[in-house]
Amino acid sequence: MIIAQNISKHFGKIEALKNISFEIGKGEIVGFLGKNGAGKTTLMRILTTYLPPTSGRVLIAGQDIGRNSLSIRRKIGYLSENPPLYLNMTVREYLRFAARLKDIPARDTRARIDKVLDDCRLLYVQNRPIAHLSKGYKQRIGIAQAIIHEPEVLILDEPTSGLDPVQIQQVRNLIKDIEHKRTVLLSTHILSEIEQIARRILIINRGELIRDQSMEGLLKQEGAATLEEVFLKLNPPQAPYNPEGIFTGQAQRFDD
Amino acid sequence: MTKTLAIAQKELSAYFKSPVAYLILIVTITVFNIFFYMIIDQNREATLRDVFAVMEFMFVFLVPLLTMRVFAEEKAAGTMEFLMTTPTSNTSIVLGKYLGSLLFFSLLLALTVVYYLIIECFGRPDRWPVVTGFLGLWLEGGLFIAVGILTSSWTRSQVAAAITSYAILFLLYFSVSLVPYVPESVAPVIRQVNTLTHLANFSVGLITLQDAVYYLSGIALCLVLTRISVENRLWR
Repeated sequence: MIIAQNISKHFGKIEALKNISFEIGKGEIVGFLGKNGAGKTTLMRILTTYLPPTSGRVLIAGQDIGRNSLSIRRKIGYLSENPPLYLNMTVREYLRFAARLKDIPARDTRARIDKVLDDCRLLYVQNRPIAHLSKGYKQRIGIAQAIIHEPEVLILDEPTSGLDPVQIQQVRNLIKDIEHKRTVLLSTHILSEIEQIARRILIINRGELIRDQSMEGLLKQEGAATLEEVFLKLNPPQAPYNPEGIFTGQAQRFDD
Repeated sequence: MTKTLAIAQKELSAYFKSPVAYLILIVTITVFNIFFYMIIDQNREATLRDVFAVMEFMFVFLVPLLTMRVFAEEKAAGTMEFLMTTPTSNTSIVLGKYLGSLLFFSLLLALTVVYYLIIECFGRPDRWPVVTGFLGLWLEGGLFIAVGILTSSWTRSQVAAAITSYAILFLLYFSVSLVPYVPESVAPVIRQVNTLTHLANFSVGLITLQDAVYYLSGIALCLVLTRISVENRLWR
């Protein structure tokens, strides 16, 4: 479903992504791990056609993102790190606007909006201005717009950040519900969450893909009981100085 | 096309969801009313020529306030990423945003048609220059908006967008005052680029091909540049 071949991305002299390749099949739920500034958001932006890669090729559902970006965008639902919301709109107005931009036929719009409002537990606030809602609601509105056009591929950049445990559970269930129907790529810092949802893990460090394995395989190979142990092993708390002149912490600015 | 309209509608409603739109409408119309009264009182003529000149002058200051948020706000809020990852072409985004601002401006201009009704009640105005005058002002507003949207696409700061827009509009509007100080070879170029010379014809009832081409090509150029700017993410 998603094929990435040798993707590199440079911002000026700085290499944010280095020669990344992977394939994700239909119906897979893949967790995407890495420290802040590792290049997760940059890679997600490339997969959603928002940023062009400096070199390399991405195929989604057999189409090249460079050539067929509009038709690929119809197949992708994307939640960016900060949910992209128009604060002066009500929840329903915003979803109607999203539906129009995402080519949902006018006669289906109402039903689709009602469905995502229900799926994301937003019915109660549907006529409230988004500006007045809490972060948890905003995050769910962001998810609602990502799934409103029933995309084949769902790319979620930290979908549960800012949510309370109950809401995290709801989002997790939402993602689990669509397993087998859609391909999901999600990034998060909450490792236990990935453990519960994803079957496969990609780990990125300083722009390089350092692991691409099934969850069980990864734990076994690293001799670890939890993903957190693996993550800390691969990213020791005192990260050494990057010989290319970038502290990993500073590289965070590509992601903001 | 439906997406262009969806974006235009969103833009227009965004104006009216903030107090800024109402403030701009009230303040501008109030100032226009005062000038209309003063001009008619002093000239004692049933013509809107001088009123149009004042309105044009005011639009130089007004339009950047209308357009500064158009792209800068989306970029600052992160919604540009949303727009550009939906299956919406960059052309639709630019045209939709332009149309939204143009509709708001048209509404403002439509409110000033009342000046014509007033002079029609109390005198016998020459109707044709009034029609062409409004057309000229509308075209000029269209050009100013296109400039404002272009500068808004360059930055995520609304203030920076407004200041850049003022710089360009001042150059377009006031440059004719520079004519005595520049070499003779440059003077005709300045006269051609200046907006004053083009609107002057409209307000006396003349529609020339040259003036129409000036405004329409200016608008087209700015919109094309905006599309390029959006496509290449120049603000990054």
